[in-house]
Amino acid sequence: MHKKMAFSFPDEVLEHVFSFIQSDKDRNSVSMVCKSWYEIERYCRRKVFVGNCYAVSPRMVIRRFPEFRSIELKGKPHFADFNLVPDGWGGYVFPWIAEMAGALPWLEEIKLKRMVVTDESLELIAKSFKNFKVLVLSSCEGFSTDGLAAIAATCKNLKELDLRDCEGDDLGWHWLSYFPDTYTSLVSLNISCLGSDEVSFSALERLVGRCTNLRTLRLNRAVPLDKIANILRHAPQLVEFGTGSYTADLRPDIYSDLAGAFSSCKELKSLSGFWDVVPAYLPAIYPVCSKLTSLNLSYATLQSSDLIKLVSHCPNLQRLLVLDYIEDSGLEALASICNDLQELRVFPSDPFGVEPNVSLTEQGLVAVSSGCPKLQSVLYFCRQMSNEALVTIAKNRPNFTRFRLCIIEPTTADYLTLEPLDVGFGAIVQYCKDLQRLSLSGLLTDRVFEYIGTYAKKLEMLSIAFAGDGDLGLHHVLSGCESLRKLEIRDCPFGDKALLANAEKLETMRSLWMSSCAVSFGACKLLGQKMPRLNVEVIDERGPPDSRPESCPVDKLYIYRTLVGPRFDMPPFVWTMEDDPSLQQLSRANLM
Amino acid sequence: MPNMELQLGLALPTPNMIKGFDLNNHRLDHLKQRGCFSNKSKRSFEQAFGNFKQDGKTKTLLLWSGQPNEEEDHKDQKKTTFSTIDDSNDDEEVEQVVGWPPIKTWRKKIFNQPNGVGGIENNRVADKENGRSIYVKVKMEGVAITRKVDIRLYLSYQTLSNSLITMFSKDKKCGDDDSTRYILTYQDKEGDWLIAGDIPWQSFMRCVQRLKIIRNRD
Repeated sequence: MHKKMAFSFPDEVLEHVFSFIQSDKDRNSVSMVCKSWYEIERYCRRKVFVGNCYAVSPRMVIRRFPEFRSIELKGKPHFADFNLVPDGWGGYVFPWIAEMAGALPWLEEIKLKRMVVTDESLELIAKSFKNFKVLVLSSCEGFSTDGLAAIAATCKNLKELDLRDCEGDDLGWHWLSYFPDTYTSLVSLNISCLGSDEVSFSALERLVGRCTNLRTLRLNRAVPLDKIANILRHAPQLVEFGTGSYTADLRPDIYSDLAGAFSSCKELKSLSGFWDVVPAYLPAIYPVCSKLTSLNLSYATLQSSDLIKLVSHCPNLQRLLVLDYIEDSGLEALASICNDLQELRVFPSDPFGVEPNVSLTEQGLVAVSSGCPKLQSVLYFCRQMSNEALVTIAKNRPNFTRFRLCIIEPTTADYLTLEPLDVGFGAIVQYCKDLQRLSLSGLLTDRVFEYIGTYAKKLEMLSIAFAGDGDLGLHHVLSGCESLRKLEIRDCPFGDKALLANAEKLETMRSLWMSSCAVSFGACKLLGQKMPRLNVEVIDERGPPDSRPESCPVDKLYIYRTLVGPRFDMPPFVWTMEDDPSLQQLSRANLM
Repeated sequence: MPNMELQLGLALPTPNMIKGFDLNNHRLDHLKQRGCFSNKSKRSFEQAFGNFKQDGKTKTLLLWSGQPNEEEDHKDQKKTTFSTIDDSNDDEEVEQVVGWPPIKTWRKKIFNQPNGVGGIENNRVADKENGRSIYVKVKMEGVAITRKVDIRLYLSYQTLSNSLITMFSKDKKCGDDDSTRYILTYQDKEGDWLIAGDIPWQSFMRCVQRLKIIRNRD
């Protein structure tokens, strides 16, 4: 006979209760309540999130959660997006697929970010998971149309195929015709990254026509404007749509066809695409604009006046991505029209130009922060900033959760006072108490890091470039930011002291990236020796770090916590700082 | 506003192509490593990077330098010295530091047509043989804002230069005297800077990528 606590529920009841708890964080909390909850929870966890694929092994994940249906994995560090991580660094998904293939035949969803996905991996997915439904490859690489063809041909229950931001060697289209004629379950398709080879409109139209549950369709640039109307007529139920190249000769028949097709889409909430846009064709989308909540115009080379006209038709916009052609005047218009705006991203149209090509300054951001009470997420590229503006922005919008400002020229000072922008960013962290993500730019001293360490208690991700005076800056951040998970730093004079003094902090974070800083090889070795639960990886394309003096700074450093020790798939230009040098020889030997 | 006459000098017909500025693909390798530039409002490299700065206190963007050839300036290579970014009046687009500004690789490609014809960022909208606009950036030395013109609106070099004169006359700095002469230069598909006027207008329209009005340094 076994005792049960008076207030305990049968497992099935607890499982049922837990099934309402979806968020990863909450699930983790639930599992820590007591041993029996841990056990129950692990069997009924259906979604697993692994923020760093090298922090844990697939076998460990499967052992703990034997019944999951969905996995999300992230590979390379964020700065890989900007070419700071050399090719071949790692992030291979194949070992994960291989382990899951045998153990989890009912796996339904795989979501990957910044990973290397080979055709072999895709073929294995297609072969192994009979009920496979969702494949999201975000900023991934390594696959070709062959792998996609395997997925298309085999995954009868596929609902979602999303290839956002992937790069392939000009991925073609022919794999689309591998979806069998009997296949109708597609709900979401994002092929915006495909190239222009082997474009097959008829295959696409037939696919769209027979998949009556299609809600999301993001086309690529190769799809011309005169094909859009036909596609939309096959799928008037679309909720999210990305056009292709939005340009054509000015012909009334094309226009009316297009306008008619858009009018028939009563559910459209999100639009994107608009490559090569011709303003004359924009009014064709006006019928749907009033319902739009998300608009991605970040490929649209429209001038400010056209952008203002368009935006004035979209009062319910919650999310806007746009180029800096919108200018301050356009942002002022946006501020007055779109009161529900929550997220704004303004990208530079001429990022490498030395002189400004548009009239977009800090004023645009001030206007939006003032006029949009729900604005919480901003990514803004501009060429000038002032502390005054930042303080105003911070006071206007204390509800920011993500604030990423990129002043294009590194170490640009406050253009009014020529001072560093410490006070301005200090105001941001002081007023925006729920700030989770922050990217800094401009001229910054250690003082800004003191503010950040003091106030940014909820900050989870911080990006720093060309800032600070010395180790004290880094020390403020590592010692003060209690919620910090990801820290990425480039070209800052941070050295050994702060890192070594805060070594334990690093175990509470997912990862730390430092490139072109002043951390010595000796310090890396020390850190690697003292902290067995961290992988301290030195990336240096100049050659082995021990061929230079120990005091020499390393080129790039990536430190992450892990349960499984050093990885075995490192390329020749990555070295793990090990406790025992002979262990490192061993790891390398495994690669041969 | 002083009455300024701008005259855009067109090239004398010569058998050799006159090379102006060759501004493409300058790789500022030594800057890539440390990634900081000098500016009157910025700290010096010592302050920024302490004990691992490279030799020299000021960084130049200079990869080569030369003097304009005084005798035959319309025939030989014209070279210009650059000091730091803020001293330069040129808006050449140079990728200065790896991964900066932090824009994803594919976003940088947005402005390039997949079939190789440049978009607005390469200063031309894709031109098909059907009379749509071809916008080309025009930069005038000493003027901050770059303008754009639709090349297809013009029939000849003369009409183009007339229009440019009108466009830029309001931007002219007051310091220049009335008789300042300007030269219209353009960048062709190979990236070379040439003086406008050599080739037939139709050919010019097909290959011009960018325009630049520079002071005639006689």
